[in-house]
Amino acid sequence: MVLPLKAEHASQTEDFESTAKIVKFAVVPKKHEEPDQSPKEELMSFEAAMLPHLDAAHNLARWLLRNEQDAQDVVQEAYLRAFRSFSGFHGTNGRAWLLTIVRNTSYTLLKKNRAVDFTTPFDEEIHATGHESVSPATILEHSEDAELIREAMDELPAEFREILALRHQEGLSYKEIADIAQIPLGTVMSRLARARDKLKEYLAARMSK
Amino acid sequence: MDCREAIKLMDGYLDCELDPITSQTIEQHLRECGRCDQAYKTHGSLIRAIGNATPYFKAPAELRERIQSSLREETTEHPVRNGVPGAQVVFHKRQPEPRSILSEIPWNWLGLAAAIILAAIIAFNVVPRAQRPEADQFLATQLIASHARSLMANHLTDVASSDQHTVKPWLDAKLDFAPAVVDLSEKGFPLIGGRLDYLDNRPVAALIYQRRQHFLNLFVWPLGPGRAGSTKAMTRQGYQLLHWVDSDLNYWAVSDINEKELQQFKQLFEEQISHH
Repeated sequence: MVLPLKAEHASQTEDFESTAKIVKFAVVPKKHEEPDQSPKEELMSFEAAMLPHLDAAHNLARWLLRNEQDAQDVVQEAYLRAFRSFSGFHGTNGRAWLLTIVRNTSYTLLKKNRAVDFTTPFDEEIHATGHESVSPATILEHSEDAELIREAMDELPAEFREILALRHQEGLSYKEIADIAQIPLGTVMSRLARARDKLKEYLAARMSK
Repeated sequence: MDCREAIKLMDGYLDCELDPITSQTIEQHLRECGRCDQAYKTHGSLIRAIGNATPYFKAPAELRERIQSSLREETTEHPVRNGVPGAQVVFHKRQPEPRSILSEIPWNWLGLAAAIILAAIIAFNVVPRAQRPEADQFLATQLIASHARSLMANHLTDVASSDQHTVKPWLDAKLDFAPAVVDLSEKGFPLIGGRLDYLDNRPVAALIYQRRQHFLNLFVWPLGPGRAGSTKAMTRQGYQLLHWVDSDLNYWAVSDINEKELQQFKQLFEEQISHH
């Protein structure tokens, strides 16, 4: 299988963890060259491909930004950005592609607001626990309390909120998560495990209050 | 498998994201270890319960309308939407490194200096290297695992291309070194693409070549301090490994093709590089 790779099939996103540009390629069979679409047709095919993922986009932005207004602004901005590079997108996983843009746009805003907290609070010492008394059974009992879970989730660093939303709510594979969160595949499992442990810990902390 | 390892892999097992062999090993361990089995069940039911109860923020209807109207505005503002400048690939601007400064240095002196440094490096490194064969064993295991994983998990390439001029800039942009990338289609080893991998405690480049129905992973990374290079071939678990060093880069080729073909590959690869 030897496929041509072309610049116009690349979508470009920003990487927050470095200044490097990330260029993603979609693999397209050669015959897939399409005649140019009219702007109206392109808008229609964009909406058909991307609007079904609006809930997923909004949910991710809402968890990352913890604020409804910001989430809506970011999702709108992300859709515009996606539309502008849509002619270069020929992949099959539209949801993952859109979520990558939503994630990047969210971090741009978080960074602007200096609210990128992906390294700050998960210092084990800060949150050293005294909640061993809260048994798994107790957590399980309260685990249907959506409000409690929302509060505990919001306390987590952004990279944990993001990975939990992508896995638990969107049911994405580790590979898709690795692409969206721009981390190596091998990091997904360990980050997810840490995020879940932290969430359990925060839940226990809230219950013992 | 011990408990520590089982706990480490538990989330991957829970999410059905482990390869079949590792999953079986975990299952085996859970059957034998009551404590881990209990931990697995508790963790699993908690994670599921939390996952189910986490509020999902659906997009409000007005957001959809806002987006649609802003998209319409965008279309009327810029009626022609092809050849988007934002989608241009940066690396086309990359030029080969300037050579002018280097060409002015008297080469015979450089050659002598290089020979002295090389002699010093060999003297300092060959001895400690020879004393730790287990490091090589460990690396070989890592290499085979990486090769096997690349074929298993639908993750053979990050950048799929037979064009060395596409693969190389892609890798260069992500690594702190610039591996040579050559296509050997004409010689019977077509280039399939490139991938990032993690070996020997650092990110490495993996170039994927094909030989008939077989794949070959060529792992490349800079020769670290204390690592002297020599060509060596070995066979492990039915895989052929071939190691060589060229200027300051480490090469490890891993494949299930036979040793003769792997040697042939090395020769072709080196020939091709020297043409560049």
